[in-house]
Amino acid sequence: MGEKTAKWVFWAGTLSSLVLFLALTFDTNKQFAALTNADRLDEQVVAGKRAFERHNCNDCHTILGFGGYYAPDLTRAYRRVGEDAIKRRLEHPETALAASYRKMPQQHLSQQEVTDITAFLRWVGEIDNHDWPPQDSTARWKRSTDRLLASASMSPAAALIQQESCLSCHALGDRGESKGPRLEWIGARRGADYIAQYLADPEKVAPGAEMPAFDHLSQGQREMIGEFIVALAGLQGR
Amino acid sequence: MTYKSQSVAYPYFVVSLLLFALQIPMGLWLAASYSFTIPQSVVDVFPFATARAIHTNLLVLWLLLGFMGATFYLVPEETGTELAWPKMALAQLALLSATGVTAIVGFLFGWTQGRPLLEIPRPLDFLVVIGALMFLANIAVTMIRAKRWTAVQGSLLGGLVFLALMYLFGIPFYRNLAVDWYYWWWVVHLWVEGAFELIAAAMVAFMLIKLTGVDRKVVEKWLYVELGLFLFTGIAGTGHHYYWLGAPRYWLWVGGIFSALEPFPILLMVYDTWRDVRHRTQPLLPRLTWVYMIGMVIIHFIGAGMFGFAHTLPMINYYTHGSQVTVSHGHLSFYGAYVLLNLTFFYFAIPRIKNFPGGSYEEKTGHWGFWLTTLGVMGMSLAFAVAGVLQTYLERVQGEPYIVAQQPIRFWMFVVGVHGLVVLAGVLLVVKHLLTLRPPRAATA
Repeated sequence: MGEKTAKWVFWAGTLSSLVLFLALTFDTNKQFAALTNADRLDEQVVAGKRAFERHNCNDCHTILGFGGYYAPDLTRAYRRVGEDAIKRRLEHPETALAASYRKMPQQHLSQQEVTDITAFLRWVGEIDNHDWPPQDSTARWKRSTDRLLASASMSPAAALIQQESCLSCHALGDRGESKGPRLEWIGARRGADYIAQYLADPEKVAPGAEMPAFDHLSQGQREMIGEFIVALAGLQGR
Repeated sequence: MTYKSQSVAYPYFVVSLLLFALQIPMGLWLAASYSFTIPQSVVDVFPFATARAIHTNLLVLWLLLGFMGATFYLVPEETGTELAWPKMALAQLALLSATGVTAIVGFLFGWTQGRPLLEIPRPLDFLVVIGALMFLANIAVTMIRAKRWTAVQGSLLGGLVFLALMYLFGIPFYRNLAVDWYYWWWVVHLWVEGAFELIAAAMVAFMLIKLTGVDRKVVEKWLYVELGLFLFTGIAGTGHHYYWLGAPRYWLWVGGIFSALEPFPILLMVYDTWRDVRHRTQPLLPRLTWVYMIGMVIIHFIGAGMFGFAHTLPMINYYTHGSQVTVSHGHLSFYGAYVLLNLTFFYFAIPRIKNFPGGSYEEKTGHWGFWLTTLGVMGMSLAFAVAGVLQTYLERVQGEPYIVAQQPIRFWMFVVGVHGLVVLAGVLLVVKHLLTLRPPRAATA
């Protein structure tokens, strides 16, 4: 290879890649509005992003998979644990994570910051990013919903979940609300006893939790609900 | 050393080495935070996030100061003139070190831009820009006045201008998180897989010409090809970071294909080094400098080329993205590509700045330093890789919640920490050895 060819390789390689990259950048920027629901990106979301940066959250947590790897990814945090759990962790990490082997700093956020960050996470959760991360993939939850529907007729626990309107706060499959954590997530994380105890007196297990006590149910009923929720995690291979 | 102004490189090397030594204990603290429970009272005043910001910013700062020192050493010899403004080079060092140290102390008090790797607050960004402009002006004016252009110089200046330009994309506040990360990678990816590679290729070519005595024409010809391939794969290869941030689906194809080609230019660099060594007209001395040089090209290929390729394809990256797999690749590639590059250059340049006869020096401690650090970093990267594969399987495939999946990983982070202690010992030896380099005993006798 002569020097002339070598120089040609340099310019052809560099410029072709650059032109392709800039052209795709131009197109990507046009598509971002639709892919990220820019119409819902209001001032509160922006304020939340500023607070998120001010407190350096991203050097422990990943978001969209980028950042520190020391704490859970926040891309779908809103759908996974819901508004109440997010707020409790932001306001009182020292009590919310008292039993955890990994701690989150108490940064004394203002009420405004807590609301803003929650709005920010809610908006991030809706970004169309090809269904990443896999553990929060909606396809995965769908299988648990199918199971619930299949067993609802014969499972008394499923009937109890309907009767007590759990899904007016919690998500299950693609149904329910994001006020509390998603039931599949609880099932993967907690035992049936813990769930039964929590149902009896949430305040005792998780101080500051907004969930009401279900002490009108019998201990046996609470345990049944616990076993049912734990069983939901089985579909994820645990 | 042929030109007097080349000696401004030395203080750059000293500051750079001291910051390197500080980076390692911070890393040990991070590893400990993974394997042990740090009490709430400690986390409240010194969170993991702060330690991570310090660990990574020290790395960037010392690597850049090392590159700058190397540039100040290299440019007079390439152009055949003195530097345009050697005093300004020292002022620039003072400005950038002061800015860097202020930033790092600021992190301790929560003064941060709050974006990973780009935590330096915006007011300080402007001081960095001033420092970069001083640097580029000094180098460019020296080259223009000399009117002598070589491919090595071109690659170096091109890389430095590219580096400075990309930094600007990291300064603004972006309202949209996806857009934010899109341009964040213009700084981070286009630095390490673009600008840094240009600078590295120039520094390696320069050292190879000087150390092997191979004809400049041959080295420079292959430098063009290397650079062409680096930029061809590296620029569009940025797409491998755009898979899951809310960008269109075509990035899975573009990122996947271009970044799968990224190992080739590194392989060419390995081949070029090997060819130059075979056609050498001078003996391979000093031995330690060559240990570093060969170590660098090999670990550059393993860390950046192989460990990078391992998780760059979208169907694999869907599961590994944002896990310890990335951390494993990050540590080994930075070490192979840029840490060893700087250290090789220091071992090449310091004996010459100090006018040791034949550029040789007393090597013994240096060998210990090299092997401890290198084996330590390799062991650490393997432990990170095990942690990463576990995390990928438990969290991403099995769907276990993050904190449940982290439990078995804590042991592997302990293994990381143990290797970190070996790295610390190695780095302290390297830094001490380089700062107290002596001519060989036979020469002093």
